[in-house]
Amino acid sequence: MAEPSTAGRSFDAEALPHLDALYRVALRLTGDPAQAEDLVQDTMLKAYRSWRQYRPGTNAKGWLMTILRNTFINDYRRRKLEPVPMDLEAVEPHALYRSVETTDPEGTFFSQIVDEKVIEAVDALPREFREVLVLSDMEDMRYAEIAEALELPVGTVKSRLFRARRQLQAALHAHAVEMGIIKPRES
Amino acid sequence: MVRAIDCADAVARLQDYFKRELTPELAQEVERHLQHCGGCFAHARFEENFLLMLETRARRDSCPSALRMRIVHTLRLDPERD
Repeated sequence: MAEPSTAGRSFDAEALPHLDALYRVALRLTGDPAQAEDLVQDTMLKAYRSWRQYRPGTNAKGWLMTILRNTFINDYRRRKLEPVPMDLEAVEPHALYRSVETTDPEGTFFSQIVDEKVIEAVDALPREFREVLVLSDMEDMRYAEIAEALELPVGTVKSRLFRARRQLQAALHAHAVEMGIIKPRES
Repeated sequence: MVRAIDCADAVARLQDYFKRELTPELAQEVERHLQHCGGCFAHARFEENFLLMLETRARRDSCPSALRMRIVHTLRLDPERD
């Protein structure tokens, strides 16, 4: 095997540490481990081949996420049955808190829901909501980094995040009620 | 001087507050409100617990080592590697 060149070494040092995050985001985008693996591999090959466009020392994780997300949209999305697209602006941000105010005001029920159900609820979000939520609340990227990676205005990232969280909270609440973890809203 | 904000303003900023996305001034306004408003304080705990829950579920998966090795190997052999 050939020794890595200088460019190769800088790619290894800056890009490879983000493989775990890329894989997790790929899993949430594709919803399928085999496709997530393909998507990560395609992303890394594309990133490697356009490594000259990357400015050293800038946000490598964000740069890689842009490639991952664009590759997903262009090459993978059609393979998967996406949740029914909805008018994103029309989604009413549920005031879920009002319905738990008297029964579980601190939201302790969230921590009682098993991992699989949380992930299932995340995967059921429309892609536009899911990608911002995963990058912000699961991969801890800043709003500005997400805006850059997804090529969206920061205001759009914020409003999608707000709606994504509300929709996820509502889904998890419904699950918690169904499982008897929390009482339904007193009426 | 920290500006007084009402419950609607405070609640609208809670998630951004916990994500540390507010300016220091806006964050202080939220904190000041929470000190005096029990209802919003409880709501804040709710939003915080939700965000903490997501964080703790987030890092379950990591890149499989076979995939990592395959990627490193593919890149080493890539003809466009200069």
